[in-house]
Amino acid sequence: MTSITLNNVSLVYRLFEKLTLSAPGRRRSALGGNIAKSGTKQVVQALDGVSFELKAGDRLGLVGPNGAGKTTLLKVLYGIYQPSGGTISITGKVDALFNIHIGFRPEATGRRNIVLRGLISGWTAAEIEEKMEEIIDFSELGDFIDLPFKAYSQGMAARLAFAAATTLEPEILLMDEWIGAGDASFQEKAKRRMDELAEKAGIIVLASHDDALIRRVCTKKLTLRAGRVESLA
Amino acid sequence: MIAALNGAFDDISKAMRLHRVWIALAHEDIGDQHRRTTLGPLWMLVNYFAFVGTFAFVFVTKDASNPSYIAYVAIGMLVWFYLTETITMSVSLFQREASFIQGTTLPLFVYVMRLTMQCIIRAGYSLAGCVLILLLSGYGINTNWLLSLVGLLLLILATPAFVVVFAFLGAFFPDSEFIVGNLMRVGMFFTPVFWVYSGQEGVQEYAYHWNPFTYFLEGVREPITAGIFPGHSLAVTGYFCLGLWAIALLLLGLYRKRIVFLI
Repeated sequence: MTSITLNNVSLVYRLFEKLTLSAPGRRRSALGGNIAKSGTKQVVQALDGVSFELKAGDRLGLVGPNGAGKTTLLKVLYGIYQPSGGTISITGKVDALFNIHIGFRPEATGRRNIVLRGLISGWTAAEIEEKMEEIIDFSELGDFIDLPFKAYSQGMAARLAFAAATTLEPEILLMDEWIGAGDASFQEKAKRRMDELAEKAGIIVLASHDDALIRRVCTKKLTLRAGRVESLA
Repeated sequence: MIAALNGAFDDISKAMRLHRVWIALAHEDIGDQHRRTTLGPLWMLVNYFAFVGTFAFVFVTKDASNPSYIAYVAIGMLVWFYLTETITMSVSLFQREASFIQGTTLPLFVYVMRLTMQCIIRAGYSLAGCVLILLLSGYGINTNWLLSLVGLLLLILATPAFVVVFAFLGAFFPDSEFIVGNLMRVGMFFTPVFWVYSGQEGVQEYAYHWNPFTYFLEGVREPITAGIFPGHSLAVTGYFCLGLWAIALLLLGLYRKRIVFLI
């Protein structure tokens, strides 16, 4: 049964300060949690005592100002950041859509980029083979698929990246903003794909500044401020 | 300590299962570097010939066609180029892989193996050139070459450990990219790559005996150029590898999850 349980999760990391001529008082960033002192070291408290439970069918919207900890929380859920405290229990296959362009190489063809993207996503050779035509069809790139990625227009590159990134069968889907790509007609197709993806996933966690989108897609809303849960509704 | 080592072995075993990822990425890296050139990766072979030829031409004084010196330089350059490229590229490894490290859950050792693979592929071109030079110099293939392979194998086994240690050094201390780069450039003159040690005293004596790279070189070179089993060199290289791997495993175990906050 797909589920996510976070119990008092915190993330504290040491701030490695670069040499700067700025006065010490001006080095603090207004973004990204709380900066505090721990002995002689500066540390960032990116998440502080975050707890919630999600079960199959839940769609959680993460909201809050820049630096509230939305992306950090997504990366903790995905396993990129290891929490400093608390416990996380996740049941189900987790996929994430953070940066759809990751791993794309300008010199490689579109087809080769699909293979590389598949390998990075942990697909087997058979899965890559199976998804190849679906991705090419969805991207509508036609013969361009065998040209180098650098020859693509921005819209074409976005179509391929979107098609490859959203060919997932996740049980838990983590998204940092809703993804759209390409021209108006492709945008509509992309919207349908995202809706389908959301429909298929057991649990969705979506970080966004778009309140209307959160209301449309999500069933729960968690507001973060300075790394702490302000409200969960 | 045990938990750290378990973490390191876990990361390594996950990365080895993803071997198709780092092999594919390493091939793409090599291909990208030469994609628009006429000779493609053969440029690596040309570079190797150019260096060996220059050193052989400049430093052979008595007999310009001295085959033993040419073989000495050819093997020395092969090993030194491999070491210097591995180490200098390792220092900036995590910076280059920042988007992957911050956006995927691939084990850190995948990036280590990606660079290791790249260095091995590049060295493969130099190795082809080296074998050609040895054959042209009159060093026919014989059983001594097998002993030389032991030295090469140790070198390859040490490579991921070199990459891990220097990649962490670069992540914790970014200035090391320039320091290590300069040291490796200078290091060529303190390592018997092109000069021959024959009992001299002073700097050359220290540079020969107290330089770990000497033993990596001699482990590969002595069987072919001197026809002897390089027991001492292989033993020193073996112990050095063990020490290096111990440090690499500890670094990987203790800090692999912190790298994402450092880059």
